[in-house]
Amino acid sequence: MQMRPDIQITSVIKAMTDVVIPAIDPANKLAVEQSQLIIGLLSLLKFQLPIQFRFDLDELGRLCTSATALSQIASTDANTRSTLNELANSSNTAAQVLDQFQRDPAELIHHIRTLRQDMSNVVDAAAASTDIQAQLQAEKLILSMSKEQLVRDRALVKMQGWEMTPGDIPEIEALLK
Amino acid sequence: MHHIDKDRPSAEWISSLRQRYTVEKEIDHILTRKLERRSGPGYSPIPLTTLVDSLHALLLANIGDRFEIKHARWLSGGASKLQMAFSLEWNRPGIGFEQTAMVLRMEPAESIVETSRLREFQLIKACDGVVPVPHVFWCDAEAKFLPYPAMVYAFAPGVTKPSDTSSGVSGLGTHLAKNVRDRLAPQFVAHLAAIHLFDYSKAELSAFDQPTIGTTQCAELGLNAWDRIWDEDSDEQVPLMRVASAWLRRNMPVLDRASIVHSDYRTGNFLFTEHDLQISAWLDWELGRIGDRHQDLAWTTSHAFGHKDEDGTFLVCGLMPEADFFAEYTRISGLSVCSKTVHWYKVYNSYSIAMLTLATGYRIARNGKTHQDVLVTWLIGIGYMILDEIRTLIEMEN
Repeated sequence: MQMRPDIQITSVIKAMTDVVIPAIDPANKLAVEQSQLIIGLLSLLKFQLPIQFRFDLDELGRLCTSATALSQIASTDANTRSTLNELANSSNTAAQVLDQFQRDPAELIHHIRTLRQDMSNVVDAAAASTDIQAQLQAEKLILSMSKEQLVRDRALVKMQGWEMTPGDIPEIEALLK
Repeated sequence: MHHIDKDRPSAEWISSLRQRYTVEKEIDHILTRKLERRSGPGYSPIPLTTLVDSLHALLLANIGDRFEIKHARWLSGGASKLQMAFSLEWNRPGIGFEQTAMVLRMEPAESIVETSRLREFQLIKACDGVVPVPHVFWCDAEAKFLPYPAMVYAFAPGVTKPSDTSSGVSGLGTHLAKNVRDRLAPQFVAHLAAIHLFDYSKAELSAFDQPTIGTTQCAELGLNAWDRIWDEDSDEQVPLMRVASAWLRRNMPVLDRASIVHSDYRTGNFLFTEHDLQISAWLDWELGRIGDRHQDLAWTTSHAFGHKDEDGTFLVCGLMPEADFFAEYTRISGLSVCSKTVHWYKVYNSYSIAMLTLATGYRIARNGKTHQDVLVTWLIGIGYMILDEIRTLIEMEN
């Protein structure tokens, strides 16, 4: 998917900076101030997006460590003991989740891109060879894979309004595993 | 695989692309220029006064100092070029003193479709008198005077859609009422036939290469250009695009007759005057070439440019049913229509649109190269529907 948030945010900031903000009436102080805030928030969003997942993992790791230490406290109060037990349970569950999410989402995208490239290389190599059978086999597989992927790609951008019969494209939530 | 930084292309990489793909000479020139300038600055807004000063220099070099530029203003519309309307008070050769309404059409730092102003200038000039086109005046092909390559042509009267209707970006999805389409449709077909029948042999078209009839060279030159653009601009690889390229190369049609091809012949790219419903000008010739008429026929009949009428019948460019369009075109032009070649060019055209949206659109927005990056980013989204169209077309033929 090429239509990712990074390129969308970049182009919206440029449109605001180059075109929209210069056209705002300087006397309209509210519009001037809020347009600057829009740029600020979009810039923050652009900065945060690539590291947000790692930021959350980092926090969860520290919370788990502290929660483990906290749940070791011996208390004579029944109500406090109850909350400590609840904390111990949620800390165990959180630690298991933390174990399962030790990869950066950027790695996922990297592997998607690598496989796209390597599959394309196979198609190109077969097309440049005299092995017509291999060429046709590779193309058939890519066409079949693309059919499944493209319905999802189209569903993801359906709200843009490109589709002549949008009802034919399922909602993206129904298509994702 | 060796990583190539497409945002800062090396001289070696540019050279390797030029060697790998044989394209028309002028196409090679503008694509090479694009890459050589890519690592340079993005597009910054140009004040109207700066543009007027540059235009002044262009005019000074062409018509001397007895002129005045008036009423300069930006024009909107289109996804690829900047346009400024103005009036020129001057002593027009052969006419005398007059005030002429004109348009300056200029490229941004990089465009969603990188094309040659010289080719567009020559083509419009060649077709003046063949079909309604704006009269062209001057061309600054290498940006000697303007900030970027540009041309000046006469302001043509008319609208791209009725004043009381709406459409999407670039005139896509324009809905025309029956009384309007009944008047425009016959002109629409007749003009296309006239362009394809035009004997261009005496026209000044030095920026164009002439493909050899009886060979697949025409198809191959076009395909080479698009494959090169994919290599130059794409970010994320798309295996289906490689399948499409392989399929297109395996099935290239033989050229039976060389014609002027507009390459973007559709509703949204002509103006018409509302009071008499006459087409007043054909615009956007930038992708035009000497090529195969089937390229235009396939483009014009694309479902992306039409819509269904009140009875659910699909209308080519929102004007007429497809069967009527082909029958009328054949009757007027006397030229044959090969459905297999139309099909090939449908894949070819979709391949080019997918490329412009998914590859070039992404690349130029990422590098901040245009005056409307937000629009070209928006257009990336249509690429997936187009890719699916390519898949369907190829599977239909297999």
